[in-house]
Amino acid sequence: MTCDQARDLAAGYVLGALERSEEAAVRAHLATCDQPHPEFGELGSVVPALLELDESELVEPPTALRDRIMAAAAADLAARGEQMSAAPAAPAAERAITFPDAGDRARRAERREATRASRFDWALRIAAVLAIVAIGAWGLNLQGQLDRARTFDQAVVAVVHAAGQPGAKTVILSPQKGQHGAGIAAVAADGSVVLAMQDLQATTGTQVYTAWVIVGSNAPVSLGDFDVDAGGTRGFTTKPTTAPAGATIAVTLEQNPGNTAPQGPIVSAGVAAAPPGSSG
Amino acid sequence: MSSGDDADRAVLALVTAGQLDALQELYDRYRVMAYSIAFRITTDASLAEDVVQDAFLGVWRNASRYVEARGSVKTWVLSIVHHRAVDAVRRRRPTAELPEREDIPPAALTLPDVWQEVSSNLDRAEIATALATLSDVQREAIELAYWGGLTQQEIAERTGAPLGTVKSRVRLGLLALRRALGGDEGRAESLAGDAPS
Repeated sequence: MTCDQARDLAAGYVLGALERSEEAAVRAHLATCDQPHPEFGELGSVVPALLELDESELVEPPTALRDRIMAAAAADLAARGEQMSAAPAAPAAERAITFPDAGDRARRAERREATRASRFDWALRIAAVLAIVAIGAWGLNLQGQLDRARTFDQAVVAVVHAAGQPGAKTVILSPQKGQHGAGIAAVAADGSVVLAMQDLQATTGTQVYTAWVIVGSNAPVSLGDFDVDAGGTRGFTTKPTTAPAGATIAVTLEQNPGNTAPQGPIVSAGVAAAPPGSSG
Repeated sequence: MSSGDDADRAVLALVTAGQLDALQELYDRYRVMAYSIAFRITTDASLAEDVVQDAFLGVWRNASRYVEARGSVKTWVLSIVHHRAVDAVRRRRPTAELPEREDIPPAALTLPDVWQEVSSNLDRAEIATALATLSDVQREAIELAYWGGLTQQEIAERTGAPLGTVKSRVRLGLLALRRALGGDEGRAESLAGDAPS
């Protein structure tokens, strides 16, 4: 396909009005062409506006549709976990988490409360945790850092142990944009948060990482400080707290220990999720 | 970006991490728009349900492919719904040329880095006003393409207009819409060229 042919098809492409074979040819051209094609961006920029339907055109889907989608996604997650156990995948893409505003936290808390008895099985969460163990071990082993892998594995074992207790919640901590540090955590039966973190930047001087819990629209509450050596992996158990399902667990990098409100950047964060039927 | 966009990206990050309840939250945010788009295109409640399920499973499996620079999470999700709905109605047509369902990923998941929305917070009334600035034939061509799921060739056959004319109507209609929505930065005229409308 030439550039002129691609330009001729640009309007049809952005509207999805080409035969799919033509669409694939355009996509292949754009992926390999070293000439700029601003017409696609300019024509495509208005397409999102077309998606804004009039209020009279909005239709509520049947409630059963949510169940079908979640059941299918849970089955997909289980299959994915089995595959990753056999052949670990590459690390996931960069993720961004920020402290939610009060409204978001309240809505999220409400949502977690409303959906606590959702359709996916607790066993799937364990499978996901085990899959993440495999991913962590794989990534570290690739770097020839077996000692760090062992440290991380030990931390993950502690998380899995805590996650298996009645009433426990799990958290997947994802790095904020531009930050390093991912991990998993479990809110144990006694309220302590057991963390297994990796890829953290080493602390220097008086720097510490601080774990926080945010419940509903409340202010973040410090759960304790920890340092990290050059290995970047760390297991840490916080003091007991109250972290119901829907609570946000976050880790910040602070310049000094003992802060009672976050001063430094959020490095990693996730939301506590409870298994169905638990007390939250 | 609005705070809603930030919150959407945070939810999508959790979807990428494999959190099912994040997928449920994303679904709850956009279920009405998604289903309404699918229903408008397919005009079939059962098929619209299949489309929305298919689309959200696509989001679940491909959340890591979302690129912030291409537009909002909302647009990304709804574009996938739109694309799958168009596939569904084309599959119903006996003469449609369509690959098997899983042959290629939907374009909404693989589009190059060219999408910049004219605005992330467009008002419906502004959009209606902008659409009113299009000529009847431009609006018809865009409507048949975007909501009817017709290809430009099929629009030409249905309206009796030459294919080149249909292409021009679609292109000039989009450019007029862009101007009306304030997204034109002076390139529209050069793009419009001297094509007939």
